[in-house]
Amino acid sequence: MARAIKGMLIECDPSIKSLVVKIDQDYRDIIIEELDDTHLLIDPSKLTFIKKELNRILADNSYNPFDDEDPQAVAATLG
Amino acid sequence: MSTPQPPSSSSLDTEESVDFFKSTINEYLDNLPESVHQELFQSRETCLAIFRLLPALSKFYIMALLFHETSAPYSDLNRWVKSNKSSEFKGHQNPTKIYQNDSIKRLKSLHILKEIKRQMVHPITKQPTIIIFVQLNEIFRQSLRDALTGFLPDSTQDQSKISLASVNNSNKGKSNDLNSMFEDDIDNDITIEYLDRYCLAKWENILHFMVGTEIKEIPSVGVLTLLRFSGLMELPSDREHREALNGMIDDTIDNNYEEDNKKSIHTLRQLLITRTGFQFLLQEISSQIWTLLIQYLIMAEKLKMNPVDVLNFIFLLGSLELGQGYAISMLSKTQLIMLDHLQDYGLIYHQKNSSVFYPTRLATSLTSESSSFKTASNAIDQEISQPRADKETNSGAIIIETNFKIYCYTSSPLQIAILNLFVHLRARFSNMVTGVVTRDSVRSALRNGISSAQIINYLETHAHSGMIELAEAEYNKKYEFESSIGNMSALEQLKLEILPPTVIDQIKLWQLELDRVQSFKGYLYKDFNNDFEFEKLLSYGEDIGIIIWKDKVKRKFFVSQEGNPQLIDYANKIIRNSSNTPRANTPA
Repeated sequence: MARAIKGMLIECDPSIKSLVVKIDQDYRDIIIEELDDTHLLIDPSKLTFIKKELNRILADNSYNPFDDEDPQAVAATLG
Repeated sequence: MSTPQPPSSSSLDTEESVDFFKSTINEYLDNLPESVHQELFQSRETCLAIFRLLPALSKFYIMALLFHETSAPYSDLNRWVKSNKSSEFKGHQNPTKIYQNDSIKRLKSLHILKEIKRQMVHPITKQPTIIIFVQLNEIFRQSLRDALTGFLPDSTQDQSKISLASVNNSNKGKSNDLNSMFEDDIDNDITIEYLDRYCLAKWENILHFMVGTEIKEIPSVGVLTLLRFSGLMELPSDREHREALNGMIDDTIDNNYEEDNKKSIHTLRQLLITRTGFQFLLQEISSQIWTLLIQYLIMAEKLKMNPVDVLNFIFLLGSLELGQGYAISMLSKTQLIMLDHLQDYGLIYHQKNSSVFYPTRLATSLTSESSSFKTASNAIDQEISQPRADKETNSGAIIIETNFKIYCYTSSPLQIAILNLFVHLRARFSNMVTGVVTRDSVRSALRNGISSAQIINYLETHAHSGMIELAEAEYNKKYEFESSIGNMSALEQLKLEILPPTVIDQIKLWQLELDRVQSFKGYLYKDFNNDFEFEKLLSYGEDIGIIIWKDKVKRKFFVSQEGNPQLIDYANKIIRNSSNTPRANTPA
């Protein structure tokens, strides 16, 4: 007879999936099984951790208008 | 006391604007049991208030039946209404008919209209037939008649007053009438202007607390508890709890209310605004008050306060006169408690140890007719928008550019505070603030439970008239262009874009980004021995809708946690059957 594995299915786009796979490589024991491009079976207790890590990585990759504004302001006052 | 208005049909737009608050209080009233209704009807102020809240046709029916001593045949209700018999509508599709049925249904659910079935003998055919008669609730009829005619009950009405008098332990001699409540103004310095200022200060203070402005005086524990109870705000611990539950609807706040009641002011001042709280902020002031009052009613029932007393008092407030002082000696014990509570919301002004209380405009406009309600709310709106005597502050003040920079012409601290929920504010001038909508600012709003649609809606409704003119000019230009080349499909898709589309899209994208991952708890089924087993379980699971993901090639599927026991039951049944019939048995 078939086997049933308890876990949590997460659904996301392929880009996020690859990020989760990367997180799994760094921290281990997160992914139980890779199902397809958009689905992963993971350890239910790790969900909040994954979400937090994803937010951190995505925040690093996003554009913040204040980052490059402040040096300009400084330059303007100096110049 | 304001005079009741004849059941005329008020203009559509005013009716719509008060629709929201009416529906909520009406819903609450409809769901009360009959015994409570009977008790409520003993108060003539309550009858008048209920009457005012009804749809126009319901009012008409009441007025028609009010001085009709006997019951009237049900069919007469149809005859009184001119139905528009156009061929477009058939049966219950007819809007007049729907409106009529709704009106009658309201009356029935309030137990105002009673149906009586009587067996009659047909005058011509001599056949016994059952005819339905309608009659007004006896108590309601009497109270409303008294309210309209100003009839003072002395000896005739004592019976209906007994229950009220027994509640009024403090003073048995006085009746609950409006007339006996009048007492000469002792403090003449309490003017209408003073009351208006007072109630607005109180009310704005609550709103300010909700948006998280730094305020000197934090609303009382009672107010804060109600805000939390109604789900408009939540403690950080509540939020963690909710997030742990993965956004599922949570009723536990409701259940452990007793325990929450003991929370100190220090805990409660950490309250954070929720999604419903934000929606609440965007409403008109009168609907805000009703929303809170209904929550107050629900909470009062939990505190074992008599709902009839509470409702009577609220409705009574609606028929009091602004600027007039009323003696507190006629109030029941419950109502004295309420007096304290309602003071916190600015509905009532009452000085400590004074024997007189003053209803404020917030209270007296509660049940008024749409027209008078309109003026009252207008007055309040003006008050709000006039701290610096410019009327443009409250609406039509926001300009947002394609580069996400936002300019808002306002000096209202409340509006600035609301903007501060989702805008990174940069600078403040005497009549405007500037800021930028950033990913972080929107995300923090989203985390507070405010949706992107709400933000967009807020920006759209408060857009500066210049923005609207620009959008209209743009729309007209596009319209002319598309119609000149005859592109009909494009014409249909044309929309008035008040906000820059890039901004709208980006705000929506930021929301999508927040929930990039969807998660489901459950079980992954795999390693099936054969297609037969796999197909059988899968098709059963799909029939009952518990399969979240499947892969037919690899013979795997994922079942939700709730659905799993059912699937296991089914699997066991198959195994049992197959062991009984060795033909279907598969080698392990």
